[in-house]
Amino acid sequence: MKKSFVIKRILYAVFIFFVVLTLNFFIPRIGIDDPAERYYPPQGGMSDIEYEIIKQITREQYGFHVSTWQQYLNYLEDLSQFNLGVSLRSGSPRVSALIGERLPWTLVLSVTTLIISLFIGVLIGTVAAWKRGRWQDTLLLNASTISVALPAFFIALMLSFYLGFELELFPAYTNPNMVAQFDWSWEAIRVVANNAALPVISMAIGGIVGYGQNTRNSVIAVTNEDFILTARAKGLKQNTILYKHTLRNAMLPIVTSLGMSISGLIGGAIIIEQIFNWSGMGTLFLEANSTGDYPLMMGIMLFLSTFAIIANLVTELFYVVLDPRVTVGEKR
Amino acid sequence: MNDNMLTMRNLKVVFPSNAGMIRAVEGIDLDIRKGECVAVVGESGCGKSVTSLAVMKLLNSPPALMRVDELRLDDEELKDYSETKMQSIRGQHISIIFQDAMTALNPVMTVGRQVDEMFLRHNDISKKEARKRTLEALELVGVPEAKSRANNFPHQLSGGMRQRVLIAMAFACMPKLIIADEPTTALDVTIQAQVLEVLRGMQQKHDVSLMLITHDLSVVSNVADTVYVMYSGKIVEKASVRDLFKTPHHPYSYGLLASVPKLSDTKHQFVQIPDSVPHPLRKPSGCYFHPRCRYATEQCKKEMPPLERFDNGREVRCYHPLNVTDTELQS
Repeated sequence: MKKSFVIKRILYAVFIFFVVLTLNFFIPRIGIDDPAERYYPPQGGMSDIEYEIIKQITREQYGFHVSTWQQYLNYLEDLSQFNLGVSLRSGSPRVSALIGERLPWTLVLSVTTLIISLFIGVLIGTVAAWKRGRWQDTLLLNASTISVALPAFFIALMLSFYLGFELELFPAYTNPNMVAQFDWSWEAIRVVANNAALPVISMAIGGIVGYGQNTRNSVIAVTNEDFILTARAKGLKQNTILYKHTLRNAMLPIVTSLGMSISGLIGGAIIIEQIFNWSGMGTLFLEANSTGDYPLMMGIMLFLSTFAIIANLVTELFYVVLDPRVTVGEKR
Repeated sequence: MNDNMLTMRNLKVVFPSNAGMIRAVEGIDLDIRKGECVAVVGESGCGKSVTSLAVMKLLNSPPALMRVDELRLDDEELKDYSETKMQSIRGQHISIIFQDAMTALNPVMTVGRQVDEMFLRHNDISKKEARKRTLEALELVGVPEAKSRANNFPHQLSGGMRQRVLIAMAFACMPKLIIADEPTTALDVTIQAQVLEVLRGMQQKHDVSLMLITHDLSVVSNVADTVYVMYSGKIVEKASVRDLFKTPHHPYSYGLLASVPKLSDTKHQFVQIPDSVPHPLRKPSGCYFHPRCRYATEQCKKEMPPLERFDNGREVRCYHPLNVTDTELQS
């Protein structure tokens, strides 16, 4: 019963992956009629014949000389060897190498933010639910109203200005040598932590309040359930009820939103990375976009969506472990 | 007096709301003898469930405010017990069986572990020993293949099985008093009979006092010894089951009995009590039942009748009781 559910979910994920892959291939081709012209704009003092030859060479170089269908097959073949193609930057670096270079730096920001938001948020939310209607609860409610009104990039700008420039507590923007000089020494790690502080704080504020509000509502909903009354009628102690009965059930919606934010871990920080000049995936994507480097864009998009699909799959499977009712449809 | 398992005097429960005080329970006395089954009957919204939760001091406060002059379980006065002290009473000395077993069981915990919890909380035993007792308890209430059933989650069991699990849980620590809050309402009729059978069997075998909350008079006639009829937060009649069914004194009790359709009876029309229970914020003056009562007089509209006690132990709150025999009147 459980096995069939897992297989079904995996097959579904594979199907979605192929849909994404195909869209990822065709959508850029809708916008560009002749890629060679884009890559190699006509230059003065070049005859039409010369330019035609150059375009032909460019097409062959990037694989546009064959039919679209053949291109699609070539694309699939490349992918099957984990080859995302070559960027249009000078030196033709491989797309996968560029992504591999930037990914860890984005993960430093997003994973730290996620862990901080999740732990503090769940804690605050539980306290607010427990102290429902008292000042702790009101505080969370007001904080969430304010944080909805203040987007992360605004908080980031304010933090960068006040904590960075005025008070000089943390670097206002990332030290440009941070990446190049990183050598796993304690000193280097300290520098990274120092530089990451403001971007992480500006993203975590919204996260903490979001998870907090989410947890609070979920805990309160579960507290009103009949089985909590049963647990109280059994004479269980308050802590036992909280951990074993309330939180376990209240975690279900949180896991869902956690799964969703995991898929946003890689791509979610574009603006914040830009503000603090953090050399992560978001910055890479913007660079690719502004230079029309579309093998790189395609590579990043495919990587992001694959990551999202896997994250959703893992969430769904994890849900089965948490909530035994999920498999009920498969059983009968 | 000490053959009383539960003695409750003057229980009052109110829920303050923006529109005014909702008086859910207005001064109820309740006596349950050892090994006796007492039924509390009445329409929805007359305060039955609130009473049952109040006995266990399980009402959420706020919003509920509860006051009681005496709440004695066996020899223990629970009135002033703290929440911590009540926690060790609940489950061990009083337990409750809720109406809807689907929602009363934790959906993400196996039923076995939910019964285990009861043993582990009130006894100093290992998890293994607790599971052994759980399996015994489940077998006692007629759960087949208890061993594999214990590892099921609530949604994998049928309604009747879930209710049996709740019963097993309630009897787990052999409490002094069990409250069954409409234990069969959520079940279909054939399963109702089985579950009642189990409940009555367990109660008689272990000589536990049972407080049965229900609106189903056929259940009452099968199981109960004494019946309290509640109306809009007050007791309107107390009688033994046989007396109540033979000669209901209060017009409301009479109406309840007459509204049970009988297959064999082709002569009499099926009777209904007109209207419904008054809204707790708009209770009428005088006797709460008078707007629905066809015997009501001017006096009924002005004054709340006292709960009158007859020599044979019956009590009725009515100025114009029905079917009263001469011997009763003399007292």
